[in-house]
Amino acid sequence: MAKGKAGQSWLKGVRVCSIHPLSQECDSEKMPLFGKSQKSPAEVVKALKEAVNALERGDKKIEKAQDDVSKNLVLIKNMLYGTSDSEPQTDIIVAQLAQELYNSNLLLLLIQNLNRIDFEGKKDVAQVFNNILRRQIGTRSPTVEYICTKPEILFTLMNGYEHQEIALNCGTMLRECARYEALAKIMLHSDDFFNFFRYVEVSTFDIASDAFSTFKELLTRHKMLCAEFLELNYDKVFSHYQRLLNSENYVTRRQSLKLLGELLLDRHNFTVMTRYISNPDNLKLMMNMLKEKSRNIQFEAFHVFKVFESRQACGFPH
Amino acid sequence: MLSGNNDEEQDIMFFHRVDSDEIIYQTEKKSCKIIGKYVMGDLLGEGSYGKVKEMLDSETLCRRAVKILKKRKLRRIPNGEQNVQREIQLLKTLRHKNVIELVDVMYNPEKEKMYLVMEYCVGVLQDMLESTSNKKFPNWQAHWYFIQLMEGLQYLHSSGIIHKDIKPGNLLITLDDTLKISDLGVAEALDRFAPDDTCYTSQGSPAFQPPEIANGMEKFSGFKVDIWSSGVTLYNLVTGKYPFEGETIFKLFECIGQGDVVIPEELEDQLIDLLKGMLHKDPEFRIPLENIIRHPWVIRKPPKTLERVPIPPLRGDELHTMTVLPYLYDYHYGDQSSSTQYISERQLNEENKISMQEACTNNKGSSSKKTCKSDGRQTSCLNIRKLATCHPS
Repeated sequence: MAKGKAGQSWLKGVRVCSIHPLSQECDSEKMPLFGKSQKSPAEVVKALKEAVNALERGDKKIEKAQDDVSKNLVLIKNMLYGTSDSEPQTDIIVAQLAQELYNSNLLLLLIQNLNRIDFEGKKDVAQVFNNILRRQIGTRSPTVEYICTKPEILFTLMNGYEHQEIALNCGTMLRECARYEALAKIMLHSDDFFNFFRYVEVSTFDIASDAFSTFKELLTRHKMLCAEFLELNYDKVFSHYQRLLNSENYVTRRQSLKLLGELLLDRHNFTVMTRYISNPDNLKLMMNMLKEKSRNIQFEAFHVFKVFESRQACGFPH
Repeated sequence: MLSGNNDEEQDIMFFHRVDSDEIIYQTEKKSCKIIGKYVMGDLLGEGSYGKVKEMLDSETLCRRAVKILKKRKLRRIPNGEQNVQREIQLLKTLRHKNVIELVDVMYNPEKEKMYLVMEYCVGVLQDMLESTSNKKFPNWQAHWYFIQLMEGLQYLHSSGIIHKDIKPGNLLITLDDTLKISDLGVAEALDRFAPDDTCYTSQGSPAFQPPEIANGMEKFSGFKVDIWSSGVTLYNLVTGKYPFEGETIFKLFECIGQGDVVIPEELEDQLIDLLKGMLHKDPEFRIPLENIIRHPWVIRKPPKTLERVPIPPLRGDELHTMTVLPYLYDYHYGDQSSSTQYISERQLNEENKISMQEACTNNKGSSSKKTCKSDGRQTSCLNIRKLATCHPS
């Protein structure tokens, strides 16, 4: 008898637990002060998706949609980062949130409509995206795996450099993506990558330099991957690169020359280097660079020039 | 010093004796010393080559550390001057967040001193390890430093540089907990057109040498040497022990030469796997750097279970406040009238007694322990050692 009773009360306990989430909702209705933070991830994601869709359709209630988007973005951001007086949500809630984001395809939707979201909202999107991207379960990075199945996200982000108002936000997200080899590989091997040669030369200085740092990250971060890529696409890459080195824009010329030096001096790119210095045209270009008025260009050109020179020294028997 | 003042007592009292009560101390003046554009601060550490002091760049207000090398001392170290020359040459070209940056080099020919101005670091990994009771880090902290070590090492290797002396004693930590690989004194730069990373010499620390060197192989793969010593370093960080030990260098090398590593089984499986890979006897099969970076234990983000091991305080200062400030203060506001103060030992003792009592009562009253340190006058017990001149009265 006693045993049965104990079992029953244990069962009851379970039942109480199972209705717990519901009772929480009741609580949130009673206490509007805490209501917002109690909204479940699924609800927030759903609300945000609806708002973004409304924004995309461009109804007359566009301002309300924009408000809703910003509000829900802040909610998601607070779940991930916490606020000044509340801690970030527990791992379980964050996992639910991530799962909802994957299932609803919201990340892509947000990025596609980034230019329609207001200024603060754009920054929130970038913050949420980067946080979700960094999420790890043991050795796995679920968001990285997710994006691998949805490379449109990356391509949309790369296209972001075409639009002034979202270029910098896309840049921060892209560089975060470039930290992961799998994602960097997709970006490097896409045709869109060659657009970077154009982006780094645009007239807006901050966008050009942001694009350049992403470009550099892609070409230097994962040594083996980059070496392989450069070897495979040597002709295409370096014919594009030539244009950067001859650019009208001083900053582009200087930056690209510096990066060229770094690439050639990296031991991983040994084969690329030998190939580059075997071409007399490249030597001529560097010698012309040594004659430039700018000291900085002379200096960077010298770094590349000395590679040619030491090869010469090796070639002659002593 | 040796003046006998009484002729009759000369044979008995050869030395002039001074009662300790009569000794008068003079507080050391913090006089500001400026070298180039840098303001000198307090001592940070000392090595066989000379001292390391803190500095402040007066133009950029960056905190720096300066390694002061004395030519006289360098000559006594085997290959000393050569190693310094090599270190300067290598560090000049390197720029990475996990490799120490050489900011400036100055030379004073009269004093035969060389000043190597570097990034400011607050501690050495070795000292942090020794400050703990079991000489090891919690797993997550070891992981945090290890991934930075690998990043720095990857950079060095891609620049064709083999460090050859990776060990906790050569890894520095900055205030924001960034690891910096330092001491490239015995490093080797490969020729740019060298087909592979073959090396012929090594002068690193014995306990961190791989079997191929312990066995006296004529040539070996340089990159794999760094992998091995990083493996020993990781072993040391997570277990507090060394994989190989020996009372003499011969016994140690014999032990390493056999190359049988015993890895404690209480470690996580992935970590054991990584250590086995890095400490593989045969350099051919030793795990290469690009695979270490992709290893599950490295990719994984370990949970912060145990408390962080802090950086040991410098002379009681846990926050590592800038030590240049008192000198600057003196330089600009130091008053001329009471700049030198004389204190006798008796006064000092009494003051100490009072401050001790105060500290005790404070402790009872408010239970705040921190107050007792800063009690009393400027010449509290901490400063006795610094009193520079003593005048016999």
